[in-house]
Amino acid sequence: MRLIRRFLGRLTSWATTRQYEERLRAEIEEHLALQTAENIRAGLTCAEARRQAALKFGGVEPMKEMYQELRGLPLLEALVQDTRHALRRLRMAPAFTIATVMTLALGIGATTSIFTLVYAVLVKSLPVANPAELFRLGRESHCCYINGYSQEGEWSIVSYDLYKYLRDNTKGFVELAAFQDLTPILGVRRSEGLDTAQSYPYEFVSGNYFKMFGIGSYAGRMLTPSDDQPNAAPVAVMSYRLWQERYGSDPSVIGAVFNLDDKPFTIVGIAPPGFFGDSLRNPPPDLFLPLNTEPYVDIEADLSNSFEHWLELIGRIRPSVNPATVQAEMRVNLKQWLLAHWSEMSADDRARFAEQTLYLSPGGAGITSMRERYGRWLQILMIASGLVLLVVCANIANLMLVRGLERRRQTSLSVALGARVSRVVREPLIESILLSLFGGAAGLALAFATTRVILQLAFPSLPGHADVPISSSPSMPVLLFAFIASLVTGVAFGIAPAWMAARIHPIEALRGASRSTPRAGSLPRKTLVVFQASLSLVLLSASGLLTVALHQMENQHFGFELDGRLVANMNPRLAGYRADQLHLLYGRIRETIANIPGVSSVALGLYSPPDSGWGSSVFVEGHPGPRIDPTSAWNRVTAAYFEAVATPILRGRGISEEDTAQSPKVAVVNEAFARKFFGSEDPIGKRFGPIPRLSSYFEIVGMVRDARYFTHGLDQPTGPMYFTPEAQADYARSAGSLFLKDIVIAAKPGASVSATSVLQAMASVDPNMPVISIRTLREQVASQFMQPWLIARLTSFFGILSLLLASIGLYGVTAYNARCRAAEIGVRVALGANRGDVIRLVLRGALALILWGVLIGLPLTFVSARFLASQLYGMNPYNPVVLLVAIVALGVSVLVASLVPAFRSSLISPLDVLRAE
Amino acid sequence: MSCDILSCEEPNREVKETDVRQGTLALMALKTLDVLGPLNGYGLARRIEQISGDLLTVNQGTLYPVLLKLEQEGSIASEWGVSENNRKARFYRLTRTGRKQLNAEAQSWQQTAAIIARFFAVKAEDLK
Repeated sequence: MRLIRRFLGRLTSWATTRQYEERLRAEIEEHLALQTAENIRAGLTCAEARRQAALKFGGVEPMKEMYQELRGLPLLEALVQDTRHALRRLRMAPAFTIATVMTLALGIGATTSIFTLVYAVLVKSLPVANPAELFRLGRESHCCYINGYSQEGEWSIVSYDLYKYLRDNTKGFVELAAFQDLTPILGVRRSEGLDTAQSYPYEFVSGNYFKMFGIGSYAGRMLTPSDDQPNAAPVAVMSYRLWQERYGSDPSVIGAVFNLDDKPFTIVGIAPPGFFGDSLRNPPPDLFLPLNTEPYVDIEADLSNSFEHWLELIGRIRPSVNPATVQAEMRVNLKQWLLAHWSEMSADDRARFAEQTLYLSPGGAGITSMRERYGRWLQILMIASGLVLLVVCANIANLMLVRGLERRRQTSLSVALGARVSRVVREPLIESILLSLFGGAAGLALAFATTRVILQLAFPSLPGHADVPISSSPSMPVLLFAFIASLVTGVAFGIAPAWMAARIHPIEALRGASRSTPRAGSLPRKTLVVFQASLSLVLLSASGLLTVALHQMENQHFGFELDGRLVANMNPRLAGYRADQLHLLYGRIRETIANIPGVSSVALGLYSPPDSGWGSSVFVEGHPGPRIDPTSAWNRVTAAYFEAVATPILRGRGISEEDTAQSPKVAVVNEAFARKFFGSEDPIGKRFGPIPRLSSYFEIVGMVRDARYFTHGLDQPTGPMYFTPEAQADYARSAGSLFLKDIVIAAKPGASVSATSVLQAMASVDPNMPVISIRTLREQVASQFMQPWLIARLTSFFGILSLLLASIGLYGVTAYNARCRAAEIGVRVALGANRGDVIRLVLRGALALILWGVLIGLPLTFVSARFLASQLYGMNPYNPVVLLVAIVALGVSVLVASLVPAFRSSLISPLDVLRAE
Repeated sequence: MSCDILSCEEPNREVKETDVRQGTLALMALKTLDVLGPLNGYGLARRIEQISGDLLTVNQGTLYPVLLKLEQEGSIASEWGVSENNRKARFYRLTRTGRKQLNAEAQSWQQTAAIIARFFAVKAEDLK
């Protein structure tokens, strides 16, 4: 109580400083006057009375100081004073201040920018109620389809039947919701009025999806379990973004009927702004449809197949229940469900029954496929940017040390005059922290701008679609991070100068400037330069390795021809085509484009390499098939497809005009397919189908070379794939896979086909059909490498930045040392050394530092390279060329940096030096 | 070198001794105000000097920081008044908190003094 009262008293008296000083002055005066009067009464002379009074009172200044220390908040006052002083000093050295703040802004900006991504992708929870209560099925995400009654390692996705069983029999969940971990595109058109169709991503979710997340509607209502019944009226929920951007927040949208792929749905409500579904993905869904509308939207429905697993699960656990208990409960339920399907299970599934299990993991961040995909790269980038920040710190510490050396005389004078060590140390520290806070503020602005650019480059969004739901504007944690990063940086580079200031002896004030010992501070400075050089080496070689690995990957043998190919992307769904009109449309497109001069072949496909998308189960006639995951990617293509992409046909034939709706159903498979399902047997003539009942649906008529379709990642080996003729598609049913979207156009050798001529041809087929993009196949492949390139370029940028900083640091050290050795050099020249000797002398010192840097950097480089190689498939961590280039780059840049001071010292005239002495 | 309570100090070994001295001085000031009622700074210094038998004569100025501390703690209050020779002066008086503090500290001081006195009175045979 007394302490608090004293503090408050101090606070008020601090605010009313002048008043208190006045009061003390008056009291002292009064005291002295009274004492003098008394002394006069005692018989002293006036002057003597006054003198005695003053003697008796004692030293006024120490008393005043004591009084002041008691009165205000001395620490705070001193801090304010020191800060003002530091600001003044910084203002007096604008070049130093601006250079430092800019360097810091680069370092802190880079780190903060990467941290923004790290936070959004790796740390942040979904914007839902109590994310800590959410748990999801599976330790990893295994998008998108798994088939059969056994799953490798763990059950992470389930069929609708299994979902219902788990939902109804697991007591530990308040709600257990299911959804598809894919956001396919759907043509959306308001049924009344003149709305044109636009395509937007959608997601199938269970009826309790929003209730489970604790998400209320922004307008209208969310989906309920009663919407998710086999015979319920089809309804959908729209995202706030789509409602706002496309429909101008029109309230009449709620309750209106929309045609989704020409199926009428009633929009019942708008999801709240900021809600982007169950996981971070690009693009986030704009429409949420009940699971039970799946058969209504897509004829190739998976809903009723209990062996087709395609749903992710997230549940909200009862607050008092231990997740491990729920997990155990679910494992029992899984086994129960499998037993109930014993009769449908293959012998292989039955053999693996005992090992079937599942795991629950925290689901507050949703399905973290983005985390799994980018996590390691973000970590690498975070480390790289952290290293840059370290180099920045070292650089500024160096600058600060020089400042400290220049201030040495002043500091020693202060110490001689009685300044306390704490005060002397505080000065450079406050200066550094101020600088780093300025740098941090500038860095934050830089981070905001760069994060936006990085996001746009890494996740380009289609026009009209939502951006990836990562905000580039700094959130509270990001602000905190930047602040802490600046503070730590400030302390880190302020410590060395502060430590030096603390060791200054007052005697130095008495020595002359030229007799001071400037080289005393050269060891820490040299250490910093060595440190910078080794870090730069690590960054340079890492970026070199990444770049080389990516070059190799981009120039690998793709199994199709990159040059002389154009790919036009269209969406017949948007032009309002019905399934039964498609076959004619494709024929007309092929015919029209084939007539363009220079076109050698043209074909359509569901997608063209290296994109990928559709997968299905494979059941081979009279064949047990492989044990695990009998699935394959597939593509629906027109005749001449293999000619258009130039994938060599190894056996049998490709897809040709002779495959018609009436002819036997055929398929062409790739090598991986043949290996997976037939081993060493000849696949030609074999039959398979997508479901057990139809296991003799397709006859294999040909085998093509493996081509790189990137189903999962750039570094995954090529998977099985089969191709079926478009002409044999079942157009009586309506399905998304009937809408072919890519037109591949191959030019005759030596000829070229312009995008304009393709556009004209397409307009002559149907002026209302939008062509979304036309690009070369090479560009299409390059777009797949955009994210890895972005990472490699960022790392290179960090590497070059640190190299630049290290060179500047070395320049500083060399120049300073050369200046200090001016006298020595002058004497050497007087004694007969020539210019070459002097240059060698200065260069030797600089090169020794770099040699140390390389020596220390090499082991670090190997460690980091091995780490990178473990992250990137097919990378050689011991690429001697890359390492050599990195070392040479380091050597050359530091040579240039130290050549300037060396050359300057060689111009020293011995006479000038002697005169200066 | 005259060595009384207030002046026996080396300039650098200040911390502990200052505390003790200030604490003692504060207690004296409180007691004086308690006995004599409101006083100005000079009056207070004079009284302490008188009562201590001129043992506390040097550095009267040190009283002022002590008074400030006591005022911040709420043990005393001050206001402007007029001194004997018709000058404006600041008068200090004891508050209720101050009286309580004085009683508590006087008691503990007496206790300490009694204990120390007993130790000084001890003879070897008393402990046998």
